[in-house]
Amino acid sequence: MNHFTKLAAATLLAGVTAGAAMAQELYAPNLSYRTGPFAATGIPLMNGQADYLAMLNARDGGIGGVPINAEECETGYSTEKGVECYEKTKGAAIVTQPWSTGITLQVLPKTNVDNIPILAPGYGFSPMADGTVFQWAFNMPAGYWDAADMIVQYMESEGSLDGKKVAFLHLDHPFGKEPLPVLEMHAESKGFELVPIPVGLKEMQNQSAQWLQIRRERPDYVVMWGWGAMNAGAITEAVKTKFPMDKFIGVWWSGHDADLKIVGEDGAGYKSISWSFPNMDAPVMAAIKEHVIDAGNTMSNEEEMQGVFYSRGVVISAILAEGIATAQAEYGTAEINAEQLRWGLENINMTEERISELGLDGMVPPFSTSCANHTGHSGGWMLEWDGEKFVKASDLLQADVAGYQALLAEKAAEYAESNAPWPTNESCSAMN
Amino acid sequence: MLADIFINPWIDMVEAPDFLLQVLWEGLVSGILYALIALGFVLIFRSSRIFNFAQGIMVVFAALTLVGLHAYGVPAWIAVALTLGVMFILAVTIERVVLRPLVGQPDIILFMATIGITLFLIGFGEIIFGGENKQMISAELGIPTGDTVLEPWGGLLILQHLDITVVIVATLLVAALLAFLNFTQMGRAIRALGDDHQAALSVGISLQTIWVLVWFIAGIIALVTGIAWGARAGVSFALEVIAYKALPVLMLGGLESITGAIVGGLMIGILEKLFEIYWGQPLLGGNTETWFAFVLALIVLLFRPQGLFGERIIERV
Repeated sequence: MNHFTKLAAATLLAGVTAGAAMAQELYAPNLSYRTGPFAATGIPLMNGQADYLAMLNARDGGIGGVPINAEECETGYSTEKGVECYEKTKGAAIVTQPWSTGITLQVLPKTNVDNIPILAPGYGFSPMADGTVFQWAFNMPAGYWDAADMIVQYMESEGSLDGKKVAFLHLDHPFGKEPLPVLEMHAESKGFELVPIPVGLKEMQNQSAQWLQIRRERPDYVVMWGWGAMNAGAITEAVKTKFPMDKFIGVWWSGHDADLKIVGEDGAGYKSISWSFPNMDAPVMAAIKEHVIDAGNTMSNEEEMQGVFYSRGVVISAILAEGIATAQAEYGTAEINAEQLRWGLENINMTEERISELGLDGMVPPFSTSCANHTGHSGGWMLEWDGEKFVKASDLLQADVAGYQALLAEKAAEYAESNAPWPTNESCSAMN
Repeated sequence: MLADIFINPWIDMVEAPDFLLQVLWEGLVSGILYALIALGFVLIFRSSRIFNFAQGIMVVFAALTLVGLHAYGVPAWIAVALTLGVMFILAVTIERVVLRPLVGQPDIILFMATIGITLFLIGFGEIIFGGENKQMISAELGIPTGDTVLEPWGGLLILQHLDITVVIVATLLVAALLAFLNFTQMGRAIRALGDDHQAALSVGISLQTIWVLVWFIAGIIALVTGIAWGARAGVSFALEVIAYKALPVLMLGGLESITGAIVGGLMIGILEKLFEIYWGQPLLGGNTETWFAFVLALIVLLFRPQGLFGERIIERV
C-alpha cells in the first residue's frame, strides 16, 4: 500500500469514525417540570416518558439501533424558563417537547424558523391540528377542543342540555382558556348557559370563592380545566361544598390519582375524559419492569406506575418513538434529523394492530396523523374515580371534529395572519 | 351598571343572609391564616429589619418534614415534635451561616440573603422529599373531618370541622404569641429590639439569641400554617404561593405591627371574599382575589404610607 493509499484509507476511516461519533444518539430533549407548583402532576408524566425511552435503549439499543437521549431541561412550568430551555436545547434537537400551553405558544413561531417539530400530546394550541398552517406543531392523539366536545357529548348522553347551566372552572392561564371557543359554540347550539369561573395561580389551593359562586349559581355540571395544585384544591372544595361528584368532569390533565386520593371515597363519581388508560397487564409495562425498574433505573415507584399520569407518560414517549421509527423507515436511515422526524410525526398510523405490536394494549385509542391533520383526533374514554382508582366509565368516545373543523381552520388562519409572514404548507391542501 | 355596583349586591346580601354568613365565614378562615403568615414576617422584621422572603418556603418545608417523618413510621405527634426540632435547627443554621456574617450590611443585602435561603430550601426540599403532592396526616393528628350544617333563616351554612379547628388553633397561637411578647422577658427583648436596635443592644440583649428565637417562632407559625393548608388540598410546593397572600396584609397593616398583621389579615380575608362574590364575579368575571388585596393596600398607603398600624418614620435630612 503506497503512502497515498494509506492516507486515503486513514482519512476515510477517520471520517466514518467521526460521523459515527457525531450521530451516536437521537437527541429528543424534554422541557420537564419536576419542581414548582405543578411538579406534583409533572413528575409521574416525566417518569413515564423517561422509563419508556430507557426501556427502548436497554432492550433494543434505542430506536433503529440508535440510542435516544431524552435529556430533561427543568422549566418549573414557567414560560420564561421554558423558552430558555428551548433555546438551550434546540441545537442538536430533533424535536422539542414544551410541556405547557404557555411555552408552546411562545416557541411556536420559533420552530418555524429553527425547523424543529413541537410535540405537545394532548395540550398546546388546539388549531395546531391544522397541519397546513402549523407545519412543525403536533398535539396528537387529541386536542383540547376534542376534549371539550367529548365532555359535552357525555353530558348530553345523560339528558338534553337545553336550559341547563354548566360552570367552567378553569386555570386563569392560556391552558385554561383553550376550550372556550368550542364550549361557547356548543352552549349556543345546544342551549345551555356557560358560566366561566377562573382560578388564579395564587388561588389554586384556596378556591372557596369559586366554589361559593358554584353554590350560588347551582350549575347542573362543573367542567374543570385544572392543572397542578388546582385539581386537588377544586376536588377538596367540591367535597366540602357537597357538590355531586358525578356531575363534576375534568379534562385529561385533571384526572390524577394522587389528587383524588386526598379525598378518597368522598371523590367517588368524579370523572375525567382521557386518551390514555393505565393497563398494568400490557406487555410494555412488563418490559419497563424488566429493563428499567428491576435494573434500578427508574425514579418512579410502584404506586405511581399504576396511575393514569405515569401510563400517559409512557404513551407520549411511545408516540414520539413511533414518529422516529416511521421516519427511519421512510428515509432509510436510523440517524434522522428534525425535518425527517416531522415527516414521521405526520405519518403515524396507530392501528389496533400496531398498538398491540408496541405492547400498549388498551392504553391508547387508535389514531393516525397526516400532512393536514396533526392531532389525530383519537377520541377518549370517560374515566371515573371509584374511590380508590380510575376506571373506564364509557366506551371510546369520538369528538365530532366536523362540527368545529371550520372553527379550527378559521382560528389557524387568524393566527397565521396575526403572525405574518407565516409559512404555510401549500402542498398539503385537504383536511383529513 | 350603577345598580349592579351600588344596589344589587346589598339586595343579594339581604335576600340570602345564610349565603352572606357563609361568605363571611370563608373570609374569616382565610383571613386568620393570612394573619398567621403575616405574623411570621412581622416578628422577623421587627427584630432584624429583614423582610423574610423565605417565609413561604418555610411553610412547605415544615409541612413536608412532618409528612415525610410520618412516612418513615414516626408517630404523628412525635413527628410534630421532631419537625419543631428541625425548624429550630434551621433557625440556628440561618442565624449562624447566613445572618451573622451579614450583620451591619444594608437591608437589601439581608433581603437578598433570604431569597437565597428560599432557593436553597426549594432545592434541598425537593431532593429530600420530592415534588409529589402528599397527604397531610390530618387523621393521625386528630384533626376532625366532617362538617356541621346549620340552617339559619331556613337557609344553609356549612361549617367544616377542619376550618373550625383552624380558626381555634390559629386564634390560640396568636394569643399565645401576644402573651409571649408582652409578658415574658424574651418577648419584651424582641419588642425592645424592634423599638430601638442600638438601645436594646446597649442593655445587653443578645442579637444572635433573638434572631434564632424569632426565626424559630416563624418556623412554628410555618408548621401550623402548613398543617392547616395541607389538610385542605395536600402538601406540595404549591403551598409556597400562599405566603405571598401575606404581602398586601403587611402593606395594609404595617410591617412592624403585630396588631396590624392580625387586623390586616382578617380585613383582607373577609373583604376580598365579599368583593369577589358580590362585585367581582358579577361585574368583572371573577378572580379578583389575585389583585383586590393589593389595590386595597395601595389605597390605604395613599393616605397612611406606614400602613394602618405601622410606625410613622420621620427622617431629618
